[in-house]
Amino acid sequence: MPLNIDWQQILLHLLNFTILAGGLYFLLYKPVKDFMAKREQHYKEIDDLAMQDRTETAQLRRAAQEKYDAMSDEIALMRSKASDEIEAEKARMLGEARAEARRILETAGKTADMRAKKALADSNEQIREIALEAVHKLIINDGSALDQFLDAAESESHNA
Amino acid sequence: MKQHKKGLIIWLGIVTVLLVLTFVVGSPGEHGDVQAAMRDAVLHDMNRISLFGLKEVNPALISAMTVSAILLIAALLIRILVIPRFSYVPGRFQLALETVVSTLDGMALIKEPGRISFVGAYVFAAGVYIFCGTLFELFGFQAVTTAGHSIALPAPLSDVNAAICMGCMSYLAILGGGIRHAGMHGFKATLKEFSLPISMSFRLFGALLSGLLVTELVYHYAALSYVLPVIVGIMFTLLHALVQAYVLTMLVGMYYHEVTEKPESKPQKAK
Repeated sequence: MPLNIDWQQILLHLLNFTILAGGLYFLLYKPVKDFMAKREQHYKEIDDLAMQDRTETAQLRRAAQEKYDAMSDEIALMRSKASDEIEAEKARMLGEARAEARRILETAGKTADMRAKKALADSNEQIREIALEAVHKLIINDGSALDQFLDAAESESHNA
Repeated sequence: MKQHKKGLIIWLGIVTVLLVLTFVVGSPGEHGDVQAAMRDAVLHDMNRISLFGLKEVNPALISAMTVSAILLIAALLIRILVIPRFSYVPGRFQLALETVVSTLDGMALIKEPGRISFVGAYVFAAGVYIFCGTLFELFGFQAVTTAGHSIALPAPLSDVNAAICMGCMSYLAILGGGIRHAGMHGFKATLKEFSLPISMSFRLFGALLSGLLVTELVYHYAALSYVLPVIVGIMFTLLHALVQAYVLTMLVGMYYHEVTEKPESKPQKAK
């Protein structure tokens, strides 16, 4: 054969390579590929779990945000309600205070009138007492004057 | 610095002595025929080795068997000692092993990545065999010929029989993959490439043989046996091993991809 081609040796090479290929497949290629696939699966599972966690977290976050928004609305409503109530309370208290002030003023006016009247009466009484005292003193100190007065008053009544 | 100079002087002295001795001693006459050496490298008709006393075979067959035995023992040791200790965070050796497997597997251009396929396994085995087989000649394992001479075992694929075997196996792998994945279309597509086994065989044989011839030529002359073998012997062989493994695996992957491609259905013509 040209180039020393020998079919028997080709078959021997073929046999040799087949044994080698089979051996390498079972001893090296398959175990390494299996391990790599296993590792890939492991990391894929971790990745899936992480993705699932991320989705759950996003859902929780969305729910929390919704709750927060609802609570914010509620707070705003409550704040507005409280503000109205405060305003109403303020108005009520102001009205009451005004009424009280008016009442106090009226009472004070009445008291002042009473006190003024009482003071006038007291003054009149004092004046009368002072006058009586003065007259009494005059009578005690000079009896004729009283008699003269009485005589004069009697004669005038007779004349009349 | 002084020690470096001393070492350099000693090294230069040894080199000079060896150089002088080489020219003084000369080379034996009967091995000096470069034409015979070249012819034997191509045809393997002079130096033949007995295969367990059954048959005289080319030295490359013995090389192929030795390489296979070494590879299988190494694979067995790795399987027993290393693979059970694989961890999800790989160490250096595990990483190297995974890189080799995934790189060669990736060469197969398998359509379902991650799945173990016949072609992927074939490409892995062929790549490892070609690479290690080519590097094998670097070690210069000795064998005794039937004529009683001692020769260094060559790379397995520098023998035309081994190259034909690889070419045919590659073709069969492509054919098998084509039939399995694309049925009749794959079968026809592979048959169209009928010249593939010949071209693959002789490409591999030519490439490996040229490397062998250059190395043989360089080692044949004493004057060329200094410094040059470092480049020719080691660098060429390393590069050669890498390139040949890459070329064959890439070709197998490419043709496999081509023949397993399903034909696009032609759009129906409007009547």
